[in-house]
Amino acid sequence: MASTGVLTSSERASGWRPDPVLWVRLAIIVGVLVLWQVVAMSGLLYQDVVPQLPAIVAALGRLLVNPELYRNLWVTLYETVLALVFGGVAGLFVGIVLGGSRFFGRAFEPYLYYLGPTPKIIFFPVMIMWFGTGGGSKIAMGAFSCFFPVALSVAVGMRAIPPILMRVGQSFRASPRQMVQKIYLPAMREPVVNGLRLGFGIALIGVLLAETKLSNQGLGFLVIQNYQRFDMPAMYALLIAIFVLSMGANAAITRLTSRSAASGAR
Amino acid sequence: MSTATNLHQVSRKGAAAATGGQPILTVDHVVKSFETPQGKVTAVDDMSLDVRQGEFVSVIGPSGCGKSTLFNMIGGLLSITEGEIAVAGERVNGPHPSIGMVFQEESTFPWRTVEENVAFPLEIQGVGKAERLERAQHFIKLVGLQGFEKRFPAELSGGMRQRVAIARTLAFQPKLLLMDEPFAALDEQTRLLLGDKVTQIQQELNQTVVLITHNITEAVQLSDRILIMTYRPGRTKRIIDIDLPRPRTSEIVGSDAFGRYVAEIWNDLREEASQGMQDEEALAQQRKRP
Ligand SMILES: Nc1ncnc2c1ncn2[C@@H]1O[C@H](COP(=O)(O)OP(=O)(O)OP(=O)(O)O)[C@@H](O)[C@H]1O
Ligand SMILES: [Mg+2]
Repeated sequence: MASTGVLTSSERASGWRPDPVLWVRLAIIVGVLVLWQVVAMSGLLYQDVVPQLPAIVAALGRLLVNPELYRNLWVTLYETVLALVFGGVAGLFVGIVLGGSRFFGRAFEPYLYYLGPTPKIIFFPVMIMWFGTGGGSKIAMGAFSCFFPVALSVAVGMRAIPPILMRVGQSFRASPRQMVQKIYLPAMREPVVNGLRLGFGIALIGVLLAETKLSNQGLGFLVIQNYQRFDMPAMYALLIAIFVLSMGANAAITRLTSRSAASGAR
Repeated sequence: MSTATNLHQVSRKGAAAATGGQPILTVDHVVKSFETPQGKVTAVDDMSLDVRQGEFVSVIGPSGCGKSTLFNMIGGLLSITEGEIAVAGERVNGPHPSIGMVFQEESTFPWRTVEENVAFPLEIQGVGKAERLERAQHFIKLVGLQGFEKRFPAELSGGMRQRVAIARTLAFQPKLLLMDEPFAALDEQTRLLLGDKVTQIQQELNQTVVLITHNITEAVQLSDRILIMTYRPGRTKRIIDIDLPRPRTSEIVGSDAFGRYVAEIWNDLREEASQGMQDEEALAQQRKRP
């Protein structure tokens, strides 16, 4: 689809020309690496805390061939995706209700605003009691964390829908379900996608954080394990892996959602 | 019979052009008042109107006289304080399947193509994809937008978008087409030409139309009857039969008879409009004072 009103995102996605911005980004990475190496060699900080780059690269190599990484990566991904599904669906639903009804919005939204920025990890003990020490409590943590940004951004997006479009739907006697499917959701695509993207990051944070606190599997657990063994190169290698993972996931979500938008509302 | 005496005829019954029989729309002593922080505001006061099958009736009045309020009550989007509105013999409470509305504001769905927009009411009714696109095609042709099926509203001009909105409402196949200043945002030339289009469609489908407008030329060009509203509270000032020959085109705008109708209506409207302007100036004065 070459000439649509929503072409900008797909155009951006397909254009792979080298971009000056790309060079700046690369330069930043190189700069950080050089700085790191300089600090490591200077001996200003403990060798063990700031290991030299070759040590980290070697650890990264070992990590990437270690089946343990993939087993734990899979666990974390699985927990995060389930957390996003539960928290995201709940957030979408609550956001639509709060955004669609002035009464419910005024009654409940203050709670969302107060609870939203609260560090959810303080609820982790409760989650353990409710969902056990296994994956359940991690999923619950992630779901609980990502519920808030999704609900709030959907509620705000819902309010930004031009009222005239809703009146058109009503005048054609659309059912509440059709209103949601055919008017609210397509009209709010942007805030919903942003909410889900934000929600994914926050679900991942919630899951990783929970894994570092109490668990025997997952990437968060691996990080803490390496920390406790004081294997700093391995820990940094792991952090890099997690960083790349979240970047990749973010890009995947963007791709996925812009694809579904391009295929249009049937 | 477009004589001067006829111009002064005040009629509450159907126009000569109407086919008679049961009215499709009955507005019966309808009142609408709003509770505001400043007290009760009566927007529409004791209005009555019958519209028969195939008739084209315009409602004209100065800005703020309650036209959109009446429009929304007939369309079932706004509750009625007193009185009753019936469509095809059924009392209106909520959007009625026999009424199709075209709104004053820009109302096409920006994420849908022209054909998807026009097929929307059919989609709501559960018509299958192939059939609804085929039926939409008919109405796209009717408003002269063939070739633009796959375009998005953002790629069209304002006049074309308004035609999409009209086609979409026609695809709903309403017994009564209800339009609220559908051409208000358009320039005069486009407005006249779209008026021709609407006349042609109305003749082709024998469509009953109620058009809300504040444009006298448009009202005279299109209507069998014109209801003139008073300014605040909105009441029926009078109803005029427009006895111009059909089929009409926008060329009729230049004729003497047309000019007489326009002058006639303007005479009535001027009092109301200036009343409205005085009110607004007084209000502005009040606001300026602390
Ligand atoms: N929801 C509401 N609450 C309070 N007053 C209202 C409400 N809706 C309309 N009114 C008042 O009713 C009167 C009529 O409004 P309406 O929108 O029907 O006018 P209109 O004839 O359509 O004007 P225009 O030609 O400018 O569209 C106005 O004085 C307006 O202030
Ligand atoms: Mg209006």
